[in-house]
Parts: sequence; C-alpha cells; structure tokens
Amino acid sequence: MEISYMRKKHNFVPKLQDRQFMIRCYLIVLCIISGLLTGCDMIDYHPYDVRIKGERNINAHNIEAIETMCQDKDTLRFVAMSDSQRWYDETEDFVEALNRRNDIDFVIHGGDLSDFGVTDEFLWQRDIMNGLKVPYVALIGNHDCLGTGREAFRAIFGETDFSFIANRIKFVCLNTNALEYDYSDPIPDFDFMGNEISARKDEYDRTVVCMHARPYSDVFNNNVAKVFQTYVKSFPGLLFCTVAHEHHVAEMDLFNDGVMYYMTGCMKYRNYTLYTITADGYEREVVYF
Amino acid sequence: MNEKWSIFKKLLLLFGMLTIPFYSVFGQVSFYVGPQQKHDTIFIVKHDTLWLERPGALDSVYVADVSPSKYDRPVRRYRKRWAVLIPTHSKLQFAGNMGLVSLGMGWDYGKRNQWETDFLVGYLPKYDSDRAKVTFTLKQNYIPWSLRISESDFDFEPLTCGMYLNTIFGDEFWVNEPDRYPDGYYGFSSKVRIHIFLGQRFTYNVNPKYRITAKQVTLFYEISTCDLYLVSAFTNRYLKPRDYLSLSFGVKFQFF
Repeated sequence: MEISYMRKKHNFVPKLQDRQFMIRCYLIVLCIISGLLTGCDMIDYHPYDVRIKGERNINAHNIEAIETMCQDKDTLRFVAMSDSQRWYDETEDFVEALNRRNDIDFVIHGGDLSDFGVTDEFLWQRDIMNGLKVPYVALIGNHDCLGTGREAFRAIFGETDFSFIANRIKFVCLNTNALEYDYSDPIPDFDFMGNEISARKDEYDRTVVCMHARPYSDVFNNNVAKVFQTYVKSFPGLLFCTVAHEHHVAEMDLFNDGVMYYMTGCMKYRNYTLYTITADGYEREVVYF
Repeated sequence: MNEKWSIFKKLLLLFGMLTIPFYSVFGQVSFYVGPQQKHDTIFIVKHDTLWLERPGALDSVYVADVSPSKYDRPVRRYRKRWAVLIPTHSKLQFAGNMGLVSLGMGWDYGKRNQWETDFLVGYLPKYDSDRAKVTFTLKQNYIPWSLRISESDFDFEPLTCGMYLNTIFGDEFWVNEPDRYPDGYYGFSSKVRIHIFLGQRFTYNVNPKYRITAKQVTLFYEISTCDLYLVSAFTNRYLKPRDYLSLSFGVKFQFF
C-alpha cells in the first residue's frame, strides 16, 4: 500500500526559478529537435538488420558500364585490390590514389569488405568505393559471409558468382569460401563454372578467373581443389587467376601446371595490383600508395 | 400419555437450560477455528493508492488488532519475498540496435530508485534478409538524479546511463565459433552485442485521481553504441559519430 500524497520518490528536489526553467525547457526541446534532424541517420535497428539505404546491385550496374566502356581497346588495364575490412581510412586513400590516375579501366575488389558481416560495414565500404572514377565489382570474402553478411552482400552487390566480358576477355568471379557454407550451397559452384565456359562463347577469347580464397587455403574446399583446377583450365585462353584473403602479395603456380595465382595484399599495407593485358600477353605490377 | 409427554418436554427443557454454558463452550471452540483461518491468508487490497483529500485523514484508518498466527507470519514473509519479483514497470523502446521495437518489463530499486534492470524482447523485420528476427535484451540503467520541476507534476532526469546485452536468435549467429573453424579464427561473437548508452528522461507523475495503469509515465531518449562499432571507430577517421552512434526513443510506464 502506498500513500502518494505523503511520499516523494527522490530526496533531491531543487527549485528552479520560473524563468530559468523556461529557458532550460526551451534549450532541451531545441536540443531534441536538432538531435532528431541530424539523428535520422543515427536510428539503427540492429547491426545485422540488412536494412539497405542507397544504391543496390552495384555489380550489375558497374558490369554494364565496364562492358560498354571496354569494348574496343588495344590494352585493358584493371586493378585488383582486396581485404579492406575495417580499414576505411586506407580504402579512402586507395580511392584517392586511383582517382589521380587516368589509365585504369576498372577495379576488382577481391572480397572481405566487412570484418563482422555487419550491414553498415558493407554500406560504408560501398560509399567509399563509389567514390572511384572507374567502375568496380566486388567479390564475396569469407568475412562477408558472417551473420547476415551474405544476405547484405547479395542485396548491395548482387550474386556471389558472376562474370563479365571486357575487351573480349571474360572475367569469371567465384565464391570460394566453402568453410562458410554447408553442402546445401555448392562452393565452388562447378555448375556455374561449366555453364560459364560455354556462355557467350563467341564474345570472348581469353579468361581471367577471380576468387577470394585460393585452392589449398583454409577456407577453400580442398577436397575438390584438383577438380576446381580442371574446370579453371577448361576456360578458353586462360591468362591467370587473381586471389586475395591472405593479406600479402604473392604469386604461385599452385598445381605446377603453369596456371599462375596472383595474390593481392590487404588495404592495411596500402598496395594494389595493376594488370595490363595487351594482345600479346599481360603485365602485373604491385603499386604502393 | 399426554401428561407423560409434557413431563418429558419439561425435563428436556431443563436439561437444555442446564447445558447452555456447555453449548457456549462448544460454540467458542467450534467457531474459534473459523475466524482464524479467515484473517490469516486473505488479503483484500481495494486501492493501491490511498489518495487523501486532507492531511490527517489517516487518523481514522482502522487497523485490526488481531495478531498474526504461526501460520500467518511465514506465509506473509513468503509472499513478501516473492513479491519482489513482480516487475515494477514496463518499457517500450524504438530502435537502439535491439530491434525495430522492443517491449519489456523491469524493476527499479535502490535508495532513490536510481537503479533499473529491464528485460526486453525486440522484433527485427526482414528487410533484405531471408526472415524476420527476434532479439532479447538485458538492460541495466543508472539514473543518478531526478529533479522535480517546481510546482508541476514533472520530473527531469538529466542523465541516464548504463549498458545492455543484446542477443539475436537465428542459426547464422553464434556465441562461440562453430567447430568447423580453426580455434579463434574470427575471435568475436556474432550473436551477443554489448552496448553502452547515455540519455535523458522526462517523467510525468500522474495525478492519483486520473491514474489508469501507471503512476508515472516517462519519455526517454538514448544515444548508444556497441562493441563492433566502437572497434571500427577507434581506428578510422572515416567513421563519424553519426556512423557509430545510435539514437533511440522509448516510453516507460511505472506500475508502482
């Protein structure tokens, strides 16, 4: 039983002067209103909410741009970079460094845009990468699969296996993060690879295969590494493979069959790989920024 | 026969009159059990708020002078202890990285009711993911001051602070990494988030005459952040406060 007339909840009851009180009330209301106006961006429902604001389907839009821009060129120059998770400042510097050049056709992000699969991480990375003058595509990395990350990736960037053709070179971009999936999702997807060999066959002569994790890395399904290599080698005019994930620059002939796997470093170490493909062959250059 | 019957009746009456004292004794004994059971366990609380028109009205309140029995005392103690678990308030919160809306109950305690603990269940719509999700939050609040705005029914609480743990339900989230990963591969839990917050509140003390379910209604807002946003913000100039801070609003109904 409570006698509310007699009782007050708190001991400390200071008396404010009326005028002072009015001013304070006014200030508080002002603060709340201004907070609301600036705070519209600040209303978050959950780190894993997959609530996408702004551009979606980045890869599809940019592939369209790449394919039209790179139709009849002597040389194709593209940049491979990757593992920009939680290195926003470095990624911004990368965008700035790349925007100072005028010789690049497009950029391939090798995966791991996010560290925790949090939706905002993808949006922040997208916003930074959208600052590029040239179009870019993003592959899915193992970190991008965490939590609702793969759902966010799909909504923002698109399918995790995709391909495009630039200057009669087919770029086959694959999801190789088998450790993040069970057997209900075929990773790597051999059906996709098989179909890609024959799809748009008359539009390309050479192939570059791009993936996040290389065969025999910790997240690859290593039971099928050799099968994977067979599929890779059946693409016409295979040039090389680009990989990421391990954060350092490397080049390896993984299966001792002459197919080169070139690894890109992470954004933390401020470097990217520049590929120049001509009619005779290709050049690879690691650029520090 | 008639005479005999009248004598029998007289004798019966005499016997009855002689045994009256015994009846009363039996009566006392038999009725003694009844009232004791009655005053023992039945609590009838008609009004939780005793709203007094004039001071001193308490003088006429009648308090029974029946002392509790050996059964009463433990039962009352038992009830009183369990009664501590009755939530004292409910809360409805919008946003705050615990779902679109969260609904819950909690307790206030402490000398000045400066502590509050809440349990909240949140709903997170599907948006672009595969399904809608449910979250659960355990929230601890500290409200150091409550200032009565003079000659009004409003309290202003200039600072609330605290932390909350939020967990989200679904197979794609884990506390410990599943066995398929090498030990400590990712080194964080995608299921449990630790949040800290600062905020302010306005409380309206409802006039006892007009109370419906709550004696106080509090509006509050909070600015919070969680562990994953903080570790990103520490190492990046790119992230501005509005990226890693989160604004939320809520209302609290104080039952008693």
